Amino acid sequence: MWKYLLIGSLALIISCSDQQSDLTVLMVWAHAGQAVERKVLEQQVKRFNSLQTEIQVQLTFIPEQSYNAQVQAAAVAGELPDMLEFDGPFLYNYVWQGHLEPLDKLLSAKLQEELLPSIQKQGHYLGKFYAVGTFDSGLGLYARRSALKDTGVQIPSGPDNAWTDDEFATVLAALASRDPDGRVLDLKLNYSGEWFTYAFSPLLQSAGGDLIDRNDYQSAEGILNSPQSVRAMKALQNWFTRGYIDSNVDDAAFVSGRVALSWAGHWEYSRYAEALGSDLALLPLPDLGKGSRTGQGSWVWGITKHSKNPQAVVRLLEFLLQPNEVLVMAAANGAVPATRTAIARSPLYGDKGPLQLFARQLQGGFSVPRPQTPAYPVITSAFQQAFIDIRNGGDIQNAMDKAATEIDQDIRDNKGYPQVD
Amino acid sequence: MDSRNFIAAFMSAPALVGLLLFVVVPFLFAVALSFTNLRLGSPLPLEWMGFEQYRRIFSDPSFVRALLNNLVFVVVVVPLQTVLALVLALLLNRRLYGITWFRTLFFMPVVFPLSLVAVVWVLIFAPGPNGMMNAFLDLVSLGNWTPRDFLHDPYFALPAIMLTSIWQGTGFQMVILLAGLQAIPAELYEAAAIDGAGRRQQFWHITLPQLRNTLIFVVLVTTILASRLFDQVQIMTQGGPNDASTTVMFETVEAAFARQQVARGAAMTVILFLVVLLITRLQRRVARQEREVT
Repeated sequence: MWKYLLIGSLALIISCSDQQSDLTVLMVWAHAGQAVERKVLEQQVKRFNSLQTEIQVQLTFIPEQSYNAQVQAAAVAGELPDMLEFDGPFLYNYVWQGHLEPLDKLLSAKLQEELLPSIQKQGHYLGKFYAVGTFDSGLGLYARRSALKDTGVQIPSGPDNAWTDDEFATVLAALASRDPDGRVLDLKLNYSGEWFTYAFSPLLQSAGGDLIDRNDYQSAEGILNSPQSVRAMKALQNWFTRGYIDSNVDDAAFVSGRVALSWAGHWEYSRYAEALGSDLALLPLPDLGKGSRTGQGSWVWGITKHSKNPQAVVRLLEFLLQPNEVLVMAAANGAVPATRTAIARSPLYGDKGPLQLFARQLQGGFSVPRPQTPAYPVITSAFQQAFIDIRNGGDIQNAMDKAATEIDQDIRDNKGYPQVD
Repeated sequence: MDSRNFIAAFMSAPALVGLLLFVVVPFLFAVALSFTNLRLGSPLPLEWMGFEQYRRIFSDPSFVRALLNNLVFVVVVVPLQTVLALVLALLLNRRLYGITWFRTLFFMPVVFPLSLVAVVWVLIFAPGPNGMMNAFLDLVSLGNWTPRDFLHDPYFALPAIMLTSIWQGTGFQMVILLAGLQAIPAELYEAAAIDGAGRRQQFWHITLPQLRNTLIFVVLVTTILASRLFDQVQIMTQGGPNDASTTVMFETVEAAFARQQVARGAAMTVILFLVVLLITRLQRRVARQEREVT
């Protein structure tokens, strides 16, 4: 027994001292999102590891639903990785907590200029640049073209002539009258968490409401529970009460042909295109009075303060932002490529490309970033709760009042989230 | 005698140190933190808030509803699950061909991770006439059942979770009760049979009294586990609709991790601890465990 232990520990010592001292090991955390995204990222890391000998990247996938909680726990324990992926709007809270390293001086200026305006805007906070995505997100209504033809309603050509609330109601009613179970719209209710805020807060903005007062980010009172916001949520609740919404438990409502409309993000494009072929249309979200609004911002990369070797992390970032790598990812998940060069070269986003709407929405000011404040985790949590209550038939004004009160209480508790240096 | 005490202390030391480090100290921390304004990762200084967190959670309708749901859950699930487990244990305490196979089958749900079980039951409770539960109820009611969306229905959400929990948890208690049943000496039954006691009398006067301690243990453990209800809620209903299925544990995790309000979460766990302590004290008072006479 002792003999084996001795041999084992000797082997350990030898193997440890055998490692080259100039090899940098980078820990990278990413979210376990779509299977295709995971696969691409794994291959990208493999390519990067085999291209050079100084840096070895170790990739860890973390479940998406509790991602922020895991990051928070790791930060408390001092266990953050070198490079961290996170959902865009959490950036401001992480900066406030002092977890992120600014990238202004690390990333080359040329590369920073290459990035889409929406990515630059999302990644900047208090004058510094903290996070960079290799893609931005698109959100819209996927539709079965042939089903819409029968309804007689015009198909919108772009975000500036989206369906009004009334037109959308007409479309839903017409579709429902021809549908065996009357359920014609998929809102991806099988998702949970951040999806609800990302997908349905644009409705508030389209009606003239919002999640929070964006002048100083100090209060949600009178904005989140304003008549405009309540009207938007009322429209949403009506779709539920009239029985238009498919619960999509199997996540196949649209591809199996049960519904003609699916309220979904760019990541569904490849699956939907495969199922419907040329019958697939991509439309802007309905306009509730102030123009069609949509979501933006997706998962981004940041360098943590914990990293001893930010220079090495930047090399990995620059590798991931090469046009080829950006395009590989965009082709896999249907997202908007994050650099101008890549967008120009992408067949999906060209003038006649099937996903041109996503690019137009981002470049034409139709997309609204989620609130850029450290209070975001509480804002999203409160709105998600309100959404769930409203979808279950709860009183709308009550639900929105409760959310607004909770957000304001949190902002007060944090003294208005002052900058701490 | 002294040396025996020393040996006893020495032997139990590792377990006691573990308990102290991983249960007592964190709990004392939680009590202390519940009087502050601690937030996860906040760079702002920590402040003393006295009973403010407690005042807030008791004026929060969601938390009050969560406490109530927890109580309802315990009151319904503990007796049901215990009775069901006893029935199963009695059924499986026979010498039949292939009985171990049946025991394994009934114990299987306990081995599955709760999250997996919850996901499977989400599929079972699928809304619409094609959902398994809806289709089943349609069959047994001879077509008089209107399909429901169980997990988003204010009346059905909590019962749906109860059903899942009972299905998952019964096997564990069944195994404990089986062990208790097999420890009952066969002579007792033989003597009773000679005295002319029937099956039913044997059950009431031998089986139940002999199982007393096991049953008390099972009820206590189930009560404590039922108070910690979280996984099913998180996966199946997220506390909805309108807090109809929220629980203290769910509210705590939401507060501490989704909203980064650690102090608030800590205050909630302190309340839960006190409530569970109260319930288990009451149970102990009602049913004192008898010392084994050796």
